[in-house]
Amino acid sequence: MECQFGLSGNGYVLLAASTTAVRSIVKMKHDQDNIKVLGPQLIMSYSGEPGDTIQFAEYIERNIRLYQIRNFHALRPSSAASWLRRQLADSLRSRNPYAVNILLGGYDNATSKPHLYWMDYLGTLTNQPYAAQGYGSYFVLSLLDRYHNPEASLEEGLETLRRCIDEVEKRLVVSQGKYIVKVVDKDGVRVIEL
Amino acid sequence: MQYNGGSIVAMVGKNCVAIASDLRLGNQALTIATDFEKVFPITDRIYLGMAGLATDVLTLRERFRFRVNMYSIKEEREIEPKTLAQLVSSTLYERRFGPYFIEPIIAGLTDSSKGSQPFIASADLIGCLNFAKDFVVVGTAEDKLLGVAEGLWEPDLEPEDLFETISQTLLNAVDRDAFSGWGAVVHVITPDKVITRTLKGRMD
Amino acid sequence: MDSSNIYKKSGFDFSNQIRNNFLAAKGVPVPKATSTGTTIVGCLFKDGIVLGADTRATAGEIIADKNCEKVVNPSCCGAGTAADTEFTTALISSNLELHSLSTGRKPRVVTAMTMLKQMLFQYQGHIGAALVLGGVDVTGPHLFTIHPHGSTDKLPYVTMGSGSLAAMAVFEAGWKAGMERQEAIDLVSAAISAGIFNDLGSGSNVDVCVITKERTDMLRNYIKPNERVTKERHYKFTRGTTAYQSENIRKYIVDESITYLTGSATTATTAEEAMDVS
Repeated sequence: MECQFGLSGNGYVLLAASTTAVRSIVKMKHDQDNIKVLGPQLIMSYSGEPGDTIQFAEYIERNIRLYQIRNFHALRPSSAASWLRRQLADSLRSRNPYAVNILLGGYDNATSKPHLYWMDYLGTLTNQPYAAQGYGSYFVLSLLDRYHNPEASLEEGLETLRRCIDEVEKRLVVSQGKYIVKVVDKDGVRVIEL
Repeated sequence: MQYNGGSIVAMVGKNCVAIASDLRLGNQALTIATDFEKVFPITDRIYLGMAGLATDVLTLRERFRFRVNMYSIKEEREIEPKTLAQLVSSTLYERRFGPYFIEPIIAGLTDSSKGSQPFIASADLIGCLNFAKDFVVVGTAEDKLLGVAEGLWEPDLEPEDLFETISQTLLNAVDRDAFSGWGAVVHVITPDKVITRTLKGRMD
Repeated sequence: MDSSNIYKKSGFDFSNQIRNNFLAAKGVPVPKATSTGTTIVGCLFKDGIVLGADTRATAGEIIADKNCEKVVNPSCCGAGTAADTEFTTALISSNLELHSLSTGRKPRVVTAMTMLKQMLFQYQGHIGAALVLGGVDVTGPHLFTIHPHGSTDKLPYVTMGSGSLAAMAVFEAGWKAGMERQEAIDLVSAAISAGIFNDLGSGSNVDVCVITKERTDMLRNYIKPNERVTKERHYKFTRGTTAYQSENIRKYIVDESITYLTGSATTATTAEEAMDVS
């Protein structure tokens, strides 16, 4: 039932994820942070099977951190995405695979470009200007088709993001509650209050 | 095969070959991406296309890149198209009882010392090769492509004519397939150059 | 796990199995492999064996290949899952060669048959190879059929595949002991033709292979009863029909210019003849 989406603009990537944790028909929590900060300029939002998501996200978080400690520099977004995909693809071939869908946002300092990756639990990976997962994606994708602008400033990007959240709130039968929004750009990662 | 969608076709021309794929990546009926290429260069003159489950397309692209690199290091020469076809075939048959969900197409020219002969081949998901002399097709629009190609293809097409024929074949076939489409990319391989063109397609 | 070592043990790799079962449970079914709904036959004649096959390969209801080769190895025809017949016969023929090298004797047909049946039995029918095996060795001509589960028959005339009934009818009517070479080729062609025209899984052309003590003759496309007529018109598109958004041309012949950094103080730039560096 969770919903997450992301979009890139002029020098930044925005990720938004719903903060409600649901079990069966019950809302268990409404302040869950489903966006992990993987590095100085890398963030990942995740959704899927409740146990798997946190276990997998923490595994990824710590291994990316380990890489940074060992090599004195952070993985670039494309490398991180490839490695993450391989983790999911290998997991799928194990006895109990992780069912986790991921959006990965990052800012590549080498090329000064933002990157947003869409990934599903099968290990399907694609680089996109905007992406969405969960039931909200059915509404949000068409909205982004219309309103996304790759050259938009952060304010304009946030405006588009608000449109998306409002649309999901209006049309989806289940209320998603609050969203947590994080942005990654040349200055690093920040949480944004909508 | 229908989970992510996608189709590929390759054709032989006069001293040239062409390989084309659509660009859709779907999640069942939902289109996720419209820039998902399924055809990859293996050497300067050999291209490999894979249609099927996208995660396997990506996994196998890495795997084949690795194995072709190992081949060139060990043999100290570039791989030939028919050798690549056997490599692909045996890699797939190794997983006979737990296959990768993809169907590959190989298109390329033989080494210039062997006369730059055109070569195309396709295989099923467990590596049964099909060496055709005219055209090969795989993917969700396979049956449609087969029909259109059968009508449009003719022998000894020049590179520019082959481009038109393969483009029209692909575009018209995927227009009748719900799981393929959203633009296409065509590579025409000739002895001295590779022409890559991105086509406009219907967006529905 | 799907490690970087390509020098691994031979044999099948099952590492995708768990995932594929998982996918099947999620509603992503295992796609169908190419199978050869086929007519393959073989018969004895005075000096040896004649094998025959049609050339249609099917995948479901579509014809995957109109002119494939089912006489996989000059002594063996395959029906069933196409990849299985191809790889099984390739493996056995390789092992047979090694066997004959280590024993220093020419291989016998029974040896090939035994190796095939042992392998197929070991895999309990999961390798879907149905074969007609024929050959001439020191003990004379032999003709076998081998079924996917590993059972074998030794008969003077045999048929296999979906067109086996039609072909067998022709053999039952026409086969007699001690036929001449041409007589046998004609009978085999008639049997395959019966398959081509009466069985939907078989079609296109007739391949024949004649094996005698001295030599093996592969008569590829011996009869072509289903030739495609030449098109009456061209369906060429005028150049420029297809609109494209972007174009990228990779040229492989480059002009090379050499800049001398040592020697004379003057830097000479020579435009060499166009060199193929690909």
